[in-house]
Amino acid sequence: MSDAMLSYDDVVRTLDDLPSLPAVVMELLNSIDQDDVDISVLAKKVSHDQALTAKTLRLANSSLYGLQVKVTTIQQAITFLGFQTTRNLITAAAVTGCFAEGHCPGFDHKAFWRHSIATAACAKVLARQMRFNQDYAFTAGLLHDIGRLVLVSCFPEQYAAAIAHRAEHDCYLLEAERAVLGVDHVDAGLALAEHWNFSDTMRLAIGGHHDPEAPGAGFLAAIIHVADAIVHALDLAQMQDDLVPPVSTVAWTALGLDEEIYLQLFRETELQYEEISMVLLT
Amino acid sequence: MTGNYHQLALAEVQPGMVLSDVLLDVQGNVLLPQGTVLTEAMLALMPRHGIAMLPIVKEEVTPEVVAATLQHHEARIAELFRKNDPDSGSDWATATLRRFITDFRLGVEETPEHE
Repeated sequence: MSDAMLSYDDVVRTLDDLPSLPAVVMELLNSIDQDDVDISVLAKKVSHDQALTAKTLRLANSSLYGLQVKVTTIQQAITFLGFQTTRNLITAAAVTGCFAEGHCPGFDHKAFWRHSIATAACAKVLARQMRFNQDYAFTAGLLHDIGRLVLVSCFPEQYAAAIAHRAEHDCYLLEAERAVLGVDHVDAGLALAEHWNFSDTMRLAIGGHHDPEAPGAGFLAAIIHVADAIVHALDLAQMQDDLVPPVSTVAWTALGLDEEIYLQLFRETELQYEEISMVLLT
Repeated sequence: MTGNYHQLALAEVQPGMVLSDVLLDVQGNVLLPQGTVLTEAMLALMPRHGIAMLPIVKEEVTPEVVAATLQHHEARIAELFRKNDPDSGSDWATATLRRFITDFRLGVEETPEHE
């Protein structure tokens, strides 16, 4: 059994054992592309979760959003930042605290979140540049590798073997996952997206971030793909054996930005990353 | 005291900077000794003591230090991009990213202009 490759169905079967997000966060994630959500009801629900509220408000008051006043309630955050952005912050605060640090040798939980948060920050900056929805980009950036956590939580021993395989062959972790587990974090991410009922926008971005050239992958997948590569290149996760993945020429061309803009974007990504990680990783 | 210092306005002083001289208040009482590494908390108290300027040790940025930093960045970039062949025609997007990152890292060191 231990040598058998996993299948997509094996992953799906284990999803029920995963921790679930607070109900209100599920509701937010599921409704990310709906505009007719009753805001005041959601604000009230979130307010019942004190830890979640506190983290969300700290994010809202960070210099990322440049608020002139300090917001002290979720309702106020919505008033000043808008519903979309606040929803984003709540999601970020909830998801980063949801998976327990596991027992998978070689898996660096902190580094995982550093990478995810940095990708979220970079994707948000890129999206602003492209006049794409910054909130979708932020959330998709944060969740793009969530499948890794699924695999680490559900199959810790096999995942440890994949990490060892990667180190031994100095290949991409994606390749190591496929070689050792038979499924990769993209499959697992899609399974979780299904299970947690993510919106189609998020599903496409998670599914396409390594293959933005696939038909129907969508523009958000291209943004996340490039953001992911930039974050590896900026070394923000601080992983000794980190590796920049190959950048899709199609995605790079689709963004069509010049060097001056990229340099500005790198700087902003670093600044934003530092601030967000101070709130989410402490 | 030390030759290599400059007077900085309070707003420009960052936590972690070092006092080059003893710091006195308006009455001439010693607030902090020479060599103190300033913290955020100390800086927050300065206005209360009427301190607007502080003598701060200048960071020695020798050409050797700069060169070592640049070399470190270059080596790290080469390591991160070790799967990329900069001359490969098909992988040009990765090579372009590499070039931009290199410009970013090696250019930034020379103009540390942070507000």
